[in-house]
Amino acid sequence: MYAIVDCNSFYCSCERLFRPELEHRPVIVLSNNDGCIVSRSDEAKRFGVQMAGPYFQAKPLIEKHGIATFSSNYNLYGDLSWRVMETLRSLVGSHNVEVYSVDEAFLDIDMVTPDQLQAFAVEIKDTVEKWTGIKVSVGVAPTKVLAKLANGLAKKNKAATGCVIVLDTKEKIDKALHATPVEDVWGIGRRYAHKLNQFAIHTAWDLTRIDIAWMKTHFGGVTGVRLAKELRGEVAIHMRDELVNKKMIATTRMFGQPVADLHSIKEAIATYTSRAAEKLRRQNGAANMISVFIVPKEQSHNTYFRHGPTISTYTTLPSATSITQELIKPAIKLVEQLFEEGKIYKKAGVMLSGIVPDQAIQGNLFDTKSTNKNRLLMGMIDNINFSMRDDVLKFASTGTKRDWKMRQELRSKRHTTRWEELYEVR
Amino acid sequence: MLNIVALSKETPMDTDIFYEAGYRGSKGFSQWEVPTANATGFTAAADDHMERGIDLNEQLITNKPATFFFRMKGDAMLGAGIRPGDILIVDRSLKPTNGKIIVAIIEGELLVRRLQKTPDAVMLLAENRKLSPIRLHSFNEKDLLWGVVTYTISPV
Repeated sequence: MYAIVDCNSFYCSCERLFRPELEHRPVIVLSNNDGCIVSRSDEAKRFGVQMAGPYFQAKPLIEKHGIATFSSNYNLYGDLSWRVMETLRSLVGSHNVEVYSVDEAFLDIDMVTPDQLQAFAVEIKDTVEKWTGIKVSVGVAPTKVLAKLANGLAKKNKAATGCVIVLDTKEKIDKALHATPVEDVWGIGRRYAHKLNQFAIHTAWDLTRIDIAWMKTHFGGVTGVRLAKELRGEVAIHMRDELVNKKMIATTRMFGQPVADLHSIKEAIATYTSRAAEKLRRQNGAANMISVFIVPKEQSHNTYFRHGPTISTYTTLPSATSITQELIKPAIKLVEQLFEEGKIYKKAGVMLSGIVPDQAIQGNLFDTKSTNKNRLLMGMIDNINFSMRDDVLKFASTGTKRDWKMRQELRSKRHTTRWEELYEVR
Repeated sequence: MLNIVALSKETPMDTDIFYEAGYRGSKGFSQWEVPTANATGFTAAADDHMERGIDLNEQLITNKPATFFFRMKGDAMLGAGIRPGDILIVDRSLKPTNGKIIVAIIEGELLVRRLQKTPDAVMLLAENRKLSPIRLHSFNEKDLLWGVVTYTISPV
């Protein structure tokens, strides 16, 4: 059996942990740069706040109902996410946990006897809530797709289900399939759902009645077949090992305010490159290719959210590297090619790809001089920045002012990651 | 206390059986992280006795995902030796037994108090005569308990 543990309005839950007065009150969290709404508590949903809606559009609603509003505090969310996952690992063993996203994880719970499934699911939920303060929903079923479906239903009816649904009999599974609209099935987008509706497929149950060969031709080949099998209770998606080493590393951000001068954009690109190189070194990788992109603001439409086509270019590096300065140089050259005078830019990013294991580290044995020294220097910079935070050491090309930095006006304190921001209790 | 027992297929479910969640400190390191180890094999004699220094986390944290740090603001707990500015280590996974110092949630605010359970009421006591005890008819952990204070760190 599989379980999926999914945090309820994760970012809002994190904010509430240190603001207990916000329990049962509407809360929302804004995206990077305070652009749009990325997390809503149930209360905020009831007031009609739309997911992914622009913040400025929701402002009247927010003021009318006194909705507590936060900028994203990724340091806090990241720490609490780790705590939730670590709690799950200690409950079922780390080899049985697949972290699926920042706020959800699949568990392989074959070790639990059938008569104990419900009690075990409740135990998981209660332990995570007690240890971390984050509320979760748990769906248990013979396949991952059905577990997701159970979780969705549990979340929809929190009071009745206690945020736990176990689909351990044919009857329960069928009932759940009937109760789930096809667009709520994991992996089916709104577009596909519309297409399926035209074939009179409205619920997940309808989807299980379809011939598998038909699914293959009409519904994304292998994916469709696996989905159909999973819905019928046949395991087609196994536990995946945690994706430790990424094939690509990207750092992209929206600017705090639109930027028109090349100098600021270069600073931003240099900063993103340092950040990406840091991530690259953390997985002991080296990149063969670097791409840079910038996104201009649409000139004709003067709205904040519309943006023009992404402009990007890439270059292949002379040899695989993880050294920041060896990556910044080509990145700056690339952005110089892309930049057009007179245009206003709102977003930029750097992507490292062609990632291979870092030879400089394995080279320890035979000591290949210069590259090793640089790699050692990088390690030192990473260690200092990691322990001191806020990039104490940085490359001069990343600038000192950074007026293009993210806007985060309503960010809460980083109570779990900074000594100077500890919660002050009376 | 948690029993640290591996959960196997045969083990009956027990709420107190957990995989190891304690802070494993800095002992989990590889040879590459030991500063003097080098691949030549010619090492100083002291290398044979090389081990990591004492790690405070190992002493102060038994369940890392459930452990949080706070800073004491006020003097409500002076009598218990907790002074303003002290760091409090709070473990959310512990049971709030009688006499424990806890972080309680009272009217949307977090307060440090000593828990005293009597047959007819639950009291939250400040250790400072200036503050009167808070009397509760019942103590619903889910709504009223934030965590149990395990250690304080204070300058001497």
